Amino acid sequence: MTSMTGGHAVSGATLGAAVRNLLSRAIETYSDSPQAAGWLRMHLTRFDEPLRVAIAGKVKAGKSTLLNALVGEEIAPTDAGECTRVVTWYQDAPSPKVLMYSKGGGAPRQLSIHRNDGALAFDLGGTPTERVDRLVVDWPSQSLRGTTLIDTPGIDSLSTDVSARSHQFLAPEDEPTAADAVVYLMRHLHSGDVRFLESFHDQGVARATAVNTIAVLSRADEIGVGRLDALMSAKRIASRYRSDDKLRDLCQTVVAVAGLLAQTGRTLRQAEFAALTELSTLPRDDMDALLLSADRFVKSETTANLSTEARGSLLERFGLFGVRLGVTMIRQGMADPTKLSTELVRRSGLDDLREVLNIQFTERRDLLKARSALLALDLVLRREPKPASQPLAIELERIMSGAHEFAELRLLTALRSGAVKVPEDARVEAERLLGGDGGATPARLGLDPMADPREARAAAMDALGRWRRRAENPLSSRALADAARVVMRSCEGILAALPR
Amino acid sequence: MALPDAVALVDLALKATSAYGRPDLGRRLQATRGRLSDPNVRVLIVGEFKQGKSQLVNALVNAPVCPVDDDIATAVPTVVRYAETASVTLVKESESDSGEPLPAQRSEVPIDQLAQYVSEAGNPGNRRQLSYAEVGLPRRLLEGGLVLVDTPGVGGLGSSHGAATMGALPRADAVLLVSDAAQEYTAPELEFLAAARQLCPNVACVITKTDLYPHWRKIVDLDQGHLRAVGDSPRMFPVSSTLRLHALRTEDTSLMDESGYVELIHYLQRDVLGHADDLDRRSVSQDILAVSEQLAASMQSELIAQEDPEKATALIEQLKVAKQKADDLRQRSARWQQTLSDGVQDLTSDIEYDLRDRLRTVSREAEHVIDQSDPKDTWDQFVSWFEGQISQSVSQNFVWAIQRAQYLAGQVAEHFSENGAALLPELNYGQKDFQSGDLRHMEKPELETVGIGSKLFTGVRGGYSGFVMGGMAMGLAGVSMLNPLSAGAGLLFGGKTLHDELKRNKQRRQADAKQAMRRHIDDTTFQVGKDIRDMLRTLQRTLRDHFSGVAEEMSTSLADAVMSAQKAVQTVEGGRATRIKDLRAELDRIENMAQRARALDGAGSQAAFSSGAAALGAGR
Repeated sequence: MTSMTGGHAVSGATLGAAVRNLLSRAIETYSDSPQAAGWLRMHLTRFDEPLRVAIAGKVKAGKSTLLNALVGEEIAPTDAGECTRVVTWYQDAPSPKVLMYSKGGGAPRQLSIHRNDGALAFDLGGTPTERVDRLVVDWPSQSLRGTTLIDTPGIDSLSTDVSARSHQFLAPEDEPTAADAVVYLMRHLHSGDVRFLESFHDQGVARATAVNTIAVLSRADEIGVGRLDALMSAKRIASRYRSDDKLRDLCQTVVAVAGLLAQTGRTLRQAEFAALTELSTLPRDDMDALLLSADRFVKSETTANLSTEARGSLLERFGLFGVRLGVTMIRQGMADPTKLSTELVRRSGLDDLREVLNIQFTERRDLLKARSALLALDLVLRREPKPASQPLAIELERIMSGAHEFAELRLLTALRSGAVKVPEDARVEAERLLGGDGGATPARLGLDPMADPREARAAAMDALGRWRRRAENPLSSRALADAARVVMRSCEGILAALPR
Repeated sequence: MALPDAVALVDLALKATSAYGRPDLGRRLQATRGRLSDPNVRVLIVGEFKQGKSQLVNALVNAPVCPVDDDIATAVPTVVRYAETASVTLVKESESDSGEPLPAQRSEVPIDQLAQYVSEAGNPGNRRQLSYAEVGLPRRLLEGGLVLVDTPGVGGLGSSHGAATMGALPRADAVLLVSDAAQEYTAPELEFLAAARQLCPNVACVITKTDLYPHWRKIVDLDQGHLRAVGDSPRMFPVSSTLRLHALRTEDTSLMDESGYVELIHYLQRDVLGHADDLDRRSVSQDILAVSEQLAASMQSELIAQEDPEKATALIEQLKVAKQKADDLRQRSARWQQTLSDGVQDLTSDIEYDLRDRLRTVSREAEHVIDQSDPKDTWDQFVSWFEGQISQSVSQNFVWAIQRAQYLAGQVAEHFSENGAALLPELNYGQKDFQSGDLRHMEKPELETVGIGSKLFTGVRGGYSGFVMGGMAMGLAGVSMLNPLSAGAGLLFGGKTLHDELKRNKQRRQADAKQAMRRHIDDTTFQVGKDIRDMLRTLQRTLRDHFSGVAEEMSTSLADAVMSAQKAVQTVEGGRATRIKDLRAELDRIENMAQRARALDGAGSQAAFSSGAAALGAGR
């Protein structure tokens, strides 16, 4: 049984090739301008590099913790007070290394690596943070192979200098951001969050293409003040945010995640499992009394064979909610540390997040990369126009308006923001067919991943017919007719990729 | 009923004023009595979204009054005060078309339905237009007159809730700034705190949810550090509402200690309520001393005339001069009157100018923003930014206006007392400077009816009047003049002609946007300007009536004194001795009253205070 995941891979490669080609031509055309050529060369190289995902949000939103959870190791430093003060890149490489880039250019300086109780400690060697442009951490990790993660300082730091660094990185005044996509963390929806999301919503040239942002409702366990049902409550809230008018326009979806639990679940140690098991043997009332508050958990006298220090460490790693959940699960019969680890991670919402990241970012990698590259080229064409660049501009326009992937993304944005008005059920179907829930064929058709190709063909033909009728109906508004044609093209693409 | 000793004394003084035929003094005492019977010590609970304010109130009164939920947000202020039986009333205040305040509409609802009316979920954006919800509970904590006000989360000064909460501050007796122990203070919180301090000096900080965060002590340290860095060290109370509620349920005193509520309640009862009680006692004391002095005036002068008839003529002359001075004080030409009328005039134009200036800056910035983009894409973002700018400007203008108005009131009082201080010279009686006493204190109760935070909840909904900050700013959202963009190919780099056509429309859209924006600024300037003028007019009237009244009372007392001195001169020799005896007896009685008044003032600092166990009791 042949798979149906071909989908748009063919045209994706075509798009990639077209963009690489265009960039090479541009580099030649601008060979007389070293600055422009250098800029373009950098973007050509970048095109083949892993996807760059920035993690943004306010101070203490949980960015570094989430990064650690995604990588599966505690590498980014975290703390009770404000911690990350410099933009820090984490990329896959054969061996570990930390490079510090200063403002004002110049060669980067290599920093020595220490591990401070697990997390990396960055010794800037006397350089004040204001002079640091960024840190780049090379770290061998499977999780970083396809994606480079970028940790940013809180966007609302009390030190305006620190928050300015994030702003400058994520939404620079006059050039496209160095990130390809953004994961935005918020503990609850605040006007400051909306304002910030708006500020790195596409500006200027690329206004009409989709925003590559996912919002995360972070520290989800705290939303429910540590109750055992906190995460279910958080999921409901995330679901509500998903249909919020303001947010729909600014990000593709909202996922609730308890970052600390995810980080610890992925790095669970045997000693911790033993400690939780020890606690689970306490009589119910003693257990409840112990878990009443963080202070009580650490300081109370207890018959459990667990020192104050050990309890303190456990709390640091799990949070009160994590301890409550872990103990409950062991009491209910979870005896295997691996199983506990998996279950904690699942409950934390990390798996959901990874799936979303996969669909919205990784699967669209080529598209997002192409977009970044084209934005960079557009900048050059605007800043240094010359007669020889005219054919480049035409080709750029051709790709942007011609590439169906871009058309799909544009229409998705328009549908989500309500710029194009379509009846509700039609909108849901359109978003799905355009790849809003995933680029693979079954996702587009709303079918089981294991579905029969014949079933897929039937569904695709069905959808095509439906949308053709909408396109041809004289009563359809111009907006609806145009949208219908784009959806038709997507259906045709699905059919073309299905095995005969 | 708070302060029974004060009430008893006022009642006694009232009897005296009627016995001595001074209904004018009686009226002043009636007002004092009124204030005592409804002490209303307002504690405003403010803070950003989801920091635990509502749960704090619930834990203080041990009742699930304010709706609390993971996803819920308070949209309407909730006032919790003492009542014999539990009840919930929704209050809607309104104005007639001519701007006169109408009687508030009140409707009772069952307690379990309160969430529907005060939360964002049940009443989004407060579209029911409630002014506030009032909850009455039989609780010891509230018996002394403490009133807790739960406010909607402030999203920084630039939010409409922030502006509305600012409006309530001048009339708050205390403010609790609530922030949870998850992280240290953010810039918007510190900014709000700084502004709040200017309007209500009595601010304390509460750090909530200490049960959940192992590092809460570090957060408290960091927070105190941030405050010290700006020269501030208010009291800070780390608490856990969860532990408190648990402790109340299980009657666990050690848990109660850990909850941190003992110190907080102690603060509310001693520092806030106690302080307010002290101020009330002092106010009553001064009122009664003033009344005593005036009541004694005529008898004292008669006594002098009787005891030493030769002095009588000189005394009568002195008294006549003094009466003339008192009458002069009532003239429009009196210095304090000049200060008042000139001051109000200057203040009105200054405040209006400041407002126009701020809004002009906003207008210019807004035009710039509109020029940078196409309104069809950015309208919603623009509106919320614009609303925020306006809220912030009006807030800042309001803070400044209040401070200036308070200063002016102080100046007027000073100028009045400069001329009025030495009016009753020979009548050696305790407090000579009864008028100047504690100016800041005396002002407050009088200015209750004035717009310096006029009626509290008109204040809560908006600074100058209820309708400015809450209502007006929403108006702009209704303007929809944007043509929806037709989607389709060529959106990004369309053909040349399409591009041109888009440009033409865009220019038109920008022009329309600017027009709408300017119109809104004009409307806001007009509305707020009107409210400023109303507030200052009321201020002027109140101060004028108050001080004129005082001058009139003094004039009456002096007239009586003249008359009794004159009568004394004509008394038959034989009657003198008896008369002197009677006079001394009366004066003794009045002196007695005055002594009690003086003792009342000192009584505050010795007020007994309840122990920690009562903190448990306060929950019942």
